[in-house]
Amino acid sequence: MDADALVHDYLGRLEVAAWSLAVDRRADLVGEVREHIATALAEAGRRDESTVRNILERLGSPEEIVAAEGEPDAVASALTATPTIGSNTDRAPWGAVEIVALLLLTVGAVLLPFVGPLLGLVFVWLSAQWTQQQKVVATAIVLTLLVLPVLLLFSVGTAAGVHTG
Amino acid sequence: MSVEPVSLLVPLAGIAAAIFLVVVLVRRHR
Repeated sequence: MDADALVHDYLGRLEVAAWSLAVDRRADLVGEVREHIATALAEAGRRDESTVRNILERLGSPEEIVAAEGEPDAVASALTATPTIGSNTDRAPWGAVEIVALLLLTVGAVLLPFVGPLLGLVFVWLSAQWTQQQKVVATAIVLTLLVLPVLLLFSVGTAAGVHTG
Repeated sequence: MSVEPVSLLVPLAGIAAAIFLVVVLVRRHR
């Protein structure tokens, strides 16, 4: 297998391993790893099979990279050779999107019942700080607790209607 | 003015989700 085929095969395995990530997150991850490999190959000055194998071994298996995706520090340390990759994962956890999302979910939920938390969820999904799984859990929490009172009120109303009617 | 206990679930929905998301962020960046 030649060097290009090795890289192609590795990136293909990475895409398969990363199927559970959000589409944009997966594309970012594959792009970062591809860029890292290209940089490492340029630094090595050679493009033979053993060089590529060494670089891929240093990166770890695609499964390990995906597992580390939930822990940005681990991804950054796995991709130490390229500073641009580290800078993407070293950002502060509290960006404007995250703060607006949390404010809408808390203060917004009190001031704007139903609308506030739903808007907050929109910002949660816009954020890149949470994984898709975490966003799904947060959405499930909000929707469950929003639907519950509606159902309870509806059932109470129906029961009252049955008793009075 | 009385508050229906059921209506407390509405703000609780956002607050519970926010707590979950904050815990996730804090644990990841600790």
